[in-house]
Amino acid sequence: MSGEAGVKLAIRNLNHNFGSFRALNDVSLDIKDGEFVCILGASGCGKSTLFNAVSGLLTISAGQILLDGKNIAGKPGQVGYMLQKDLLLPWRTVLGNITLGASLTRGAHKADREKAAELAYHYGLGDFLRHYPRSLSGGMRQRVALMRTIAAGRELMLLDEPFGALDSQTRIGMQQWLLEIWREMKRTVMFVTHDVDEAIFLADRVVVMLPKPGRIGWILDIEIPRPRAMDCMTSPAFVEIKRQVMEMLYSQATLHGVPGAQPGGLKVPA
Amino acid sequence: MSHEPSPLRDYARHVGLWIVAIALIFVAWELVLVATGLPAYVIPPPGKAIGVIFDNIPLMTQLTSQTLSETFYGYIVGAVLGVVLAVIMAQVPIVHRLLYPALITSQAVPIVAIAAPLVIIFGFGLTPKLIIVAWIVFFPVVVNVLDGLASVDHDQINLARLLGGTRLRTFMIVRLPACIGPLFSGLKIGACYAVTGAVIGEWTASSHIGLGTYLLTANAQMNTAGVYGAMLLLTAIGIGSFLFVVIVEHFATPWRTRMTAPAYFGGNIPPHASTQKQKV
Repeated sequence: MSGEAGVKLAIRNLNHNFGSFRALNDVSLDIKDGEFVCILGASGCGKSTLFNAVSGLLTISAGQILLDGKNIAGKPGQVGYMLQKDLLLPWRTVLGNITLGASLTRGAHKADREKAAELAYHYGLGDFLRHYPRSLSGGMRQRVALMRTIAAGRELMLLDEPFGALDSQTRIGMQQWLLEIWREMKRTVMFVTHDVDEAIFLADRVVVMLPKPGRIGWILDIEIPRPRAMDCMTSPAFVEIKRQVMEMLYSQATLHGVPGAQPGGLKVPA
Repeated sequence: MSHEPSPLRDYARHVGLWIVAIALIFVAWELVLVATGLPAYVIPPPGKAIGVIFDNIPLMTQLTSQTLSETFYGYIVGAVLGVVLAVIMAQVPIVHRLLYPALITSQAVPIVAIAAPLVIIFGFGLTPKLIIVAWIVFFPVVVNVLDGLASVDHDQINLARLLGGTRLRTFMIVRLPACIGPLFSGLKIGACYAVTGAVIGEWTASSHIGLGTYLLTANAQMNTAGVYGAMLLLTAIGIGSFLFVVIVEHFATPWRTRMTAPAYFGGNIPPHASTQKQKV
């Protein structure tokens, strides 16, 4: 299987069972090079299972996960990865945590530290390089965790609710910061969240997942022009998309009877 | 620049508290004597016990250095063995399952009961004392280090795998440092008990006389001031060992007390090459 032009990640007919429970049912999704895709859904819809499958931590039951055309299912270390927990090592400084990837694989050299320091200076962490994580706020810690992910140098980054534990003001700042980094670094991002606003604000495309069994319900193109400022969240276009997404999630949560809302039937590429 | 809390004032307060606490013990000691009217040959007043030490400085120095070196070397052996054993047990589950009951058993055997056979096997020299001290010290070290190694967050290990970490580097960078805090807890407990081991070793049999041997002799001669003098010095060794470990801990784990890394601990940061240069 060779990679299609422009496709960074191809998920083909992915199925996963935990015992007799079907966590993911026939999930197929292509993510283009440089694209920002948000996976949106309530808890229990298989978002995190999908995330773990792509990261390589999970041995999937069936299907293929292709990164640049190469199967990476069950092979950790191919993609960048960040969780809601920052997982910073308390005994390492901010700089030491950013260079963790290099330290764990071949040892961090002077060049690694200099590169990491440049990155940190550029993205506003320069004054904290000598700091230990315990002296940083939650938002700052997540910034360091994101820098660590970027410094590891993978072209596809998986972010699993990275801002989920932050207060809403901090979260909005972090979202804008993330978009700035994404624009400058030109990485591909797969971002898992249960926050509708966050998904629409960040994404080129929002993938709405549905539970029981975990599957893709709809895929929406978000055609809000970039760069996006915070005030776009109150624009009519944004509100209209939000209304649609809420309807998709809400109709599923209560009854299957909302007109026009057919699970698996809307805008899903064949 | 960041602000570090002024450590000097903290130290001064700590030291002050220690002095007050010790002075209070002496005051209580004196008060008990006054209240009960016990004669000096039963419990000597603090001044007399301290006097014995200062009247025999060359002897006391010799005794103290003998006991101190038994304590020190035994302590080092016990601590190193404890760490190595814990690391092996954490890495090889079968060793863990086999050794854990043996560890508990080793501490259930009365230490005095071990002393006699050790003397028969190793003679009157330093070896049996080292073994007894090490025997006492290694247990809290093993238990604490094992707990520390087991406490590492599973997601942390996953992260290391996803960053492509090798097994050895993941162990050295992620798992091993996680047990430094618990290790020092074990070392502090061990530091207090170690001197007891040295005294028991000396009591069993000794070719070199230390504070423990002296204490027995003084006791037999009804030299209570000597007994209390030796006891004070032994206590001082115990407290000194404990404080020494506390100081080492303070400098070895700066992330527990400081906001930023000191220069001796990776605090050297590459200079900002592109202060106003173009974007990365």
